[in-house]
Amino acid sequence: MRGARLGLPIFLVYMPVGMAFGLAATAAGFTFAQATACSALALAGAGQFIGVAALAGSGNLAAALIATGVVNLRYLLFSATLAPHLKGVPRWQQLLLAHTLTDETFAVNIADARVGRADRFSMTGVGLISWFGWTLGTAIGAAAGSAIGDPSKWGVDFAMPAMFIALLVGQITRRREFVAGALAAVLALVLSAWLPGQWPVVAGAIAAATVMTVTPR
Amino acid sequence: MSPTLAWGLVLGMAITNTVIRLVPIAAISRLELPEIAHRWLSYIPVSVMAAIVATQVLRPGGNWMLRPDNPYLLASVPTAIVYHFTRSFFGAIVAGILSFLALRYLLG
Repeated sequence: MRGARLGLPIFLVYMPVGMAFGLAATAAGFTFAQATACSALALAGAGQFIGVAALAGSGNLAAALIATGVVNLRYLLFSATLAPHLKGVPRWQQLLLAHTLTDETFAVNIADARVGRADRFSMTGVGLISWFGWTLGTAIGAAAGSAIGDPSKWGVDFAMPAMFIALLVGQITRRREFVAGALAAVLALVLSAWLPGQWPVVAGAIAAATVMTVTPR
Repeated sequence: MSPTLAWGLVLGMAITNTVIRLVPIAAISRLELPEIAHRWLSYIPVSVMAAIVATQVLRPGGNWMLRPDNPYLLASVPTAIVYHFTRSFFGAIVAGILSFLALRYLLG
């Protein structure tokens, strides 16, 4: 229950963004069942938008799957970061936590773990309510179709950035974290001149974390 | 869109995304990581969040918006301030979206 409360803000953000995905997927030719199943089974946020757009644009399934896989490579890092907190958690629950691992659930759970409160039940609650919001939003968007109109007129474009800004502010508790964040931000922006998709984020974060680890405190 | 292609994407995405997220958890949660690995991992969350925010705010939709009237950039200020003082995700997101809508309207 504590997890569901922690995850409620994520639910509230995932609903409208999930609706936007439902609209985008049906516009690209997906049925209601396909769009909803996609969100329920993948829970991949930006990866889903990119996968659907790539498939609609190229008709090439392999290219679309590689595009969504690359966008979601950062989850390798998140999963590895969360892993030390999941010692002794049963396999089925690790699977459930892995499946519901997103940028937002990760940030909420890792912040909660840092103050020593997160356990496998709270993390499962965060994951399930987030999954529900994303899937429900997609179903509503796919069912309503064009009746809703363009979701960007409601400011949905800024829902994800706003969530990440709040998560980022919550992450910065020490000076070295501020330095790491500033470094990663600059590197990601510079690298975006050469690297496509989410690669600049992944590469910038890896480089910044490495620099912070090898420099003396 | 043919049903085979669409369902292929749905199932393919489900498998790749779950594998990417499960393998490190399943592998590392059994190991005792050295201190340096913990230190490295401790910088990953803040680094990823900062890199995401920077690219989403300064390159919304994948295109540079290095302008003083960038509504994404301006709206991030009230969002951060509200979160810093209230520690409320919901409040920060509402403040962010409202200021984003107002700025987009005012700035055309």
